Amino acid sequence: MRRRGWVPLVWLVSLVACAIIAARTRYPTNMGDFLPHSASMAQQVLAGQVNGAAASHIVMLDIKGAPAPVLARLSQALAAQLRPQPDFINVMNGDAKSFAGVQNYVWRNRYLLSPGVTAQRFSTAGLHAALQNDLSLLSSELGTVMGESLRADPTGETLGLLSQFGNGGGPAMQNGAWMTANGNAALLLVDTAAPGFDLDAQQRALARIKSRFSHARAAIPAAAGAYLQMSGPGVFAVHIRNTTKSDVTRLSILALSGAATLLIFAYRSPLVLLLGLLPIAAGALAAIAAVSLAFGFVHGITLGFGVTLIGESLDYAIYLFTQTARGEPADAALARIWPTLRLGALTSIVGFSAMLASSFTGFAQLGLFSIAGLAAALGTTRFVLPLLVPQSFFAAGAEPLGRPVQALIAHRRAGRGVVALGVAAAFIALLAHQSGMWDQNLLNLSPIPQAAQQLNQNLQRELGVPNLRFFAVFKASSAQRALQQSEALAPVLVRLVAAQELGGFNLPSNILPSDATQRQRQADLPDIATLKKRFSQAARGLPFKISAFTPFFSAVAAARTAPLLTPSSLPPALRLQFGSMLVRHGAAWVVVAPLHDVTHPAAVTRALTAGGAHFVDLNQASTRLLHTFQNQAVTLAVVGSVAIFLLLLVGLRSLRRAVAVAAPLAAAVAMTSALLTLRGGKLSIFMVAGFLLIIAIGSNYCLFFERSTPGSPGWPRAVASIVLANLCTVAAYGLLSFSRIPVLHDIGETVAIGTFLSLVCGAVLSTPSNAAPTP
Amino acid sequence: MLLLAAPLGPARSAQPAWGLPQLMRSLASVRTASAHFTECETAPVLSAPLMSIGTLTYRAPDYLSKVTTAPNAQRFVLEHNRVTLTANGQVHVFALSQDPRIAGLVEGIQGTLAGDLPSLQQFYTVSLTGNAAAWQLRLLPKDRSLRRIVRGLIIRGSGSQITTIDTVSNDGGDSLMRIEPDAP
Repeated sequence: MRRRGWVPLVWLVSLVACAIIAARTRYPTNMGDFLPHSASMAQQVLAGQVNGAAASHIVMLDIKGAPAPVLARLSQALAAQLRPQPDFINVMNGDAKSFAGVQNYVWRNRYLLSPGVTAQRFSTAGLHAALQNDLSLLSSELGTVMGESLRADPTGETLGLLSQFGNGGGPAMQNGAWMTANGNAALLLVDTAAPGFDLDAQQRALARIKSRFSHARAAIPAAAGAYLQMSGPGVFAVHIRNTTKSDVTRLSILALSGAATLLIFAYRSPLVLLLGLLPIAAGALAAIAAVSLAFGFVHGITLGFGVTLIGESLDYAIYLFTQTARGEPADAALARIWPTLRLGALTSIVGFSAMLASSFTGFAQLGLFSIAGLAAALGTTRFVLPLLVPQSFFAAGAEPLGRPVQALIAHRRAGRGVVALGVAAAFIALLAHQSGMWDQNLLNLSPIPQAAQQLNQNLQRELGVPNLRFFAVFKASSAQRALQQSEALAPVLVRLVAAQELGGFNLPSNILPSDATQRQRQADLPDIATLKKRFSQAARGLPFKISAFTPFFSAVAAARTAPLLTPSSLPPALRLQFGSMLVRHGAAWVVVAPLHDVTHPAAVTRALTAGGAHFVDLNQASTRLLHTFQNQAVTLAVVGSVAIFLLLLVGLRSLRRAVAVAAPLAAAVAMTSALLTLRGGKLSIFMVAGFLLIIAIGSNYCLFFERSTPGSPGWPRAVASIVLANLCTVAAYGLLSFSRIPVLHDIGETVAIGTFLSLVCGAVLSTPSNAAPTP
Repeated sequence: MLLLAAPLGPARSAQPAWGLPQLMRSLASVRTASAHFTECETAPVLSAPLMSIGTLTYRAPDYLSKVTTAPNAQRFVLEHNRVTLTANGQVHVFALSQDPRIAGLVEGIQGTLAGDLPSLQQFYTVSLTGNAAAWQLRLLPKDRSLRRIVRGLIIRGSGSQITTIDTVSNDGGDSLMRIEPDAP
């Protein structure tokens, strides 16, 4: 092989360039960025709800383990400590401060907010009716309470508004704090300043809640036994991240030490062990740089998952180092195995390139990531590794590793029968599999433990936090248009509630009416002289002291000329709600209005469609998304496999040889899926990714087997290199299957089983049969 | 004759001292009751007292309805933890947990009807004067927001029967309800 001195230099310079790009790349973790670029409105709502909507800010707390009065004091102390913190925009425990923000906003702005403000209401007849209503309220049990506000609000705008602002929910009060009915838990509802996906901020906020709680507990006698539980989207997200982190750290240390032990045993050289990491390291850097340049960002999932996809590049070094014969220079060994290595890497690249065509941004990124990564790793193995391997290196300990497989190959005629039986059994098992192969339950993909999901449901029920599933969604060209459309939709929804087809709804215009409506209301309010005249006419015959109503006259006068309300007028809790109901989307604005307790989805859909809005069922949208995701994953796997076969056909220039390489892989995948679905188990979407990896990694094994000549001098080293590569893969992925995170567990299990079966099937089916078998 | 007199005459003097626990027990023994009421309401916004009449229905422990028949038809129902007020074709629903003022006011009456002292004491400082035949219960609110508007409730009665409920407001208003039980 010719020495090309400039090649390592180019390699080094490009690596540095890639590292610089990688260091400046954004690694977002929003699910929305992973979704199709052409996502439907429903899918966008789904992504929005998962990401940053008001619901994602919620943390639900309960305090247990002490008598009710102590729990209530803890709740008050905790709320008082949390409220001044900038991490929280809303802390509710049922006390007066919990509602003060909303109540003040409603009270101060009642004449701009209330739909009751009409010219009719402020006519003499309208005022008379209102006063008559007041009389009957005064004589009710509520009269004493009403008395206070009656002078300023005789038309009762606040009363109607407060129920519209959902001020009717919440758990029961005991000892001045929200409590469960049985009194054994105090309940709090907190909105964090950071959205649920901002994991660092969430983790800080949760830690602050815990430390403030410990403070409060230490200061209150008899509270020593009390404990705090938290739930909510942010709590879950942080939990998942921490579990993933700890699993990945723990398992990769184990996997690394396992693989390193094997490789040290085979190579007897720590330097060569480290050199073996060069291809994957260079591959990862190049992959990040390529994705970053093409997409402008690298999704967190792409990064984590992509590295497992290019994991096979670890094998490249193993093939080179192990197949170098004693005394053979490394470039000579490379030249010998290069055609096989190149074809093996190309099959993987072709297999993964199908993903480039996916409408899921995440899949497309993964496709590019693995193509760039494998190409760079292959280049590194080809041009750089041979220069760095110490002179006269020889993997002294490798050969014995291959002996069991050598024995297997010696008996491959019998082995073929066994593989055929295994494949037949696998097909029977797969055909007999009842009730579908695919896992449809999204929750099964969730790494949240059952107990934590239960706690979440309990707290949601106790606190009356609505389960957001149904939405009315529509687009408008401006925020004001959106609010006007929202106002037009209100009567439609009110009718649905009256018909009991809908339990309730939130609309952005209920929190903040459009400018046009606010102006209309100001115009409908009479000037102070007219108002006073009409009021005294209206009160004629009723036992009211007109002089007592001065606060009313001045409030109306002030409202007529008050500046219009804008989003910045809203108290923090309402601003959060408003911001998640009226969302900017490119140049347009989208209204996402939560609907509660939909009892007749069909009727609601009809009414909304007539009203110019879409009805979105989040469960349906996410199920549909999962379906699309599954279908695409399967299509990509099939297209990838076909492409790999065509490449083999071209590369090997023989149908028989292509079949000899492909057949063991098909057998391995069939048997793996049968094993995974044994005892009624279902295939998850992650396992499909695992299948593609089996083919990518296993095709290298089969190619080497197919090129080998049993009995030739290089044969034992070739077999040993494949076995060593497989042992490392099984060790790494096998350990991954112990993870509590479904995606890691599923892929680990699939790849560990599948690559091992590829090794066995490849040895038996790919090894040429014309050569005389040697024992 | 003797049979009829027995529970009233000698038995009473043999009883231990009469007090809050005894009153609460006798109130709690009433499972259902219905009555007519007349109510007189004064308030700073009113130029003349507001009179109303209607009927009351109570079912232990936490159902109370107050139906006003004149001058304006109105229906006030307390069920468990929820108050529904229907007046002039409008329906208002409140959860007691929502507003400690409404909760306190309603609890003061409902807790007395049910003879539920712990519940009353949660909202009020309770004091009792008089005797079994003519007692007077004074309820002074503990909750600050309720104390701001209500000075106190004075409930008078005889035996297990409530005869008047007087709600005294801080702004000079007053609501006095007289209750006449229907024949059982």
